[in-house]
Amino acid sequence: MHLKGCGGGGCRCAQITSAMSSAAGPGLAEAPEERCFLSTAEAAALERELLEDYRFGRQQLVEWCGHASAVAVTKVFPLPAHSRKQRTVLVVCGPEQNGAVGLVCARHLRVFEYEPTIFYPTRSLDPLHRDLTTQCEKMDIPFLSYLPTEVRLINDAYRLVVDAVLGPGVEPGKVGGPCMRALATLKLLSIPLVSLDIPSGWDPETGGDAEDGLRPDVLVSLAAPKQCAGRFSGRHHFVAGRFVPDDVRRKFALRLPGYTGTDCIAAL
Amino acid sequence: MHLKGCGGGGCRCAQITSAMSSAAGPGLAEAPEERCFLSTAEAAALERELLEDYRFGRQQLVEWCGHASAVAVTKEYEPTIFYPTRSLDPLHRDLTTQCEKMDIPFLSYLPTEVRLINDAYRLVVDAVLGPGVEPGKVGGPCMRALATLKLLSIPLVSLDIPSGWDPETGGDAEDGLRPDVLVSLAAPKQCAGRFSGRHHFVAGRFVPDDVRRKFALRLPGYTGTDCIAAL
Repeated sequence: MHLKGCGGGGCRCAQITSAMSSAAGPGLAEAPEERCFLSTAEAAALERELLEDYRFGRQQLVEWCGHASAVAVTKVFPLPAHSRKQRTVLVVCGPEQNGAVGLVCARHLRVFEYEPTIFYPTRSLDPLHRDLTTQCEKMDIPFLSYLPTEVRLINDAYRLVVDAVLGPGVEPGKVGGPCMRALATLKLLSIPLVSLDIPSGWDPETGGDAEDGLRPDVLVSLAAPKQCAGRFSGRHHFVAGRFVPDDVRRKFALRLPGYTGTDCIAAL
Repeated sequence: MHLKGCGGGGCRCAQITSAMSSAAGPGLAEAPEERCFLSTAEAAALERELLEDYRFGRQQLVEWCGHASAVAVTKEYEPTIFYPTRSLDPLHRDLTTQCEKMDIPFLSYLPTEVRLINDAYRLVVDAVLGPGVEPGKVGGPCMRALATLKLLSIPLVSLDIPSGWDPETGGDAEDGLRPDVLVSLAAPKQCAGRFSGRHHFVAGRFVPDDVRRKFALRLPGYTGTDCIAAL
């Protein structure tokens, strides 16, 4: 299936979405018009369907998202033949599911011969997070004990930064001081920023605080774009949603771009 | 890292392997010569290392291997599954549910008339036995299916080892399955030295470098973000 995807702001789908969201939800008898974005509640419902009805494991979902995010990085920032600094990537991980995706992304970046470094200051006790952390440690991916507040040090040391701090539905207040201070530093970055799912700190629905918030160059939407993606104005927007079965896509009336061959991401 | 991989029979690595296997194993003080194949015991040890030391989940490993195998077969296919002897293991049950929910049909029986299979499908994927699995343990329907697959005229893709082959010696290769494509999972098993089909891939990108070195494995380089490499 090859459907034309939507770009960022100005997409007519956003208007259809807002008109629909108060009146309808997935599962109506008549086929709803397809839209390009999911609300936070719908994203959670889609994930529940994959976990409970389809019996996918959280390990599977996080692995697909993390791997696809790493593939997106390779597409926008291909490895050069020389220059060691051009391989360095800083991955900032929060304690929730987005952070787990970040850990997987870092591991795949290492497999793809980048040199990732992880800043994961507030660690989840969840077994999946612990195992993903062990996998990274065993693969000699360094974990920073602190993040410099002097943004120039980050700009000089890394080619790009991956933001895997917050996700839809995660209250900024819950992730702890070090993560929030890291986000404050990332707002001042001059090297490229890749955000996973939503730019950390943006309201997942309205993209509010987008002016004052992170301004990523690349957004990798996980499963499907969230509503705030309509306000994304960076250079590249990918969706990592190949694993979403067609029936689920239809149930949520999602209009997603076609994937080519065995690709796990598609450009919007 | 781009190392030249080994092909099928006639590879010099096979000779190195057999010379070494009686005298050495991974972990000697001097760096062992790299080789291209793993014994069944070593394959099990490598998997244990990934599960216990690296804390990869079995769900992760199985997902990578299955995905990579599908990439090796790439195109838009309409799969049908024959899975006569079902495991009660929760991972198997969940993977089965995932397939059912995606409307992949499960056959209740496999025709013994091989012509019906040749006519209905473009190719067959053999995911029946693996290294260390006793043929006697998988049940009558699987063994009967293998007997039918020996008569196939459409292409056959075997995952990890051609079912029925001895994982070490490839013994019974004359009488056994003759796949066109072999997808070695993690690393090739010793019997792969006797594989003479058209394509041999290794799906082992997820094996960390340190583990590869520990088992003195010589594997081909992967390109870009590929999950499989051709040998």
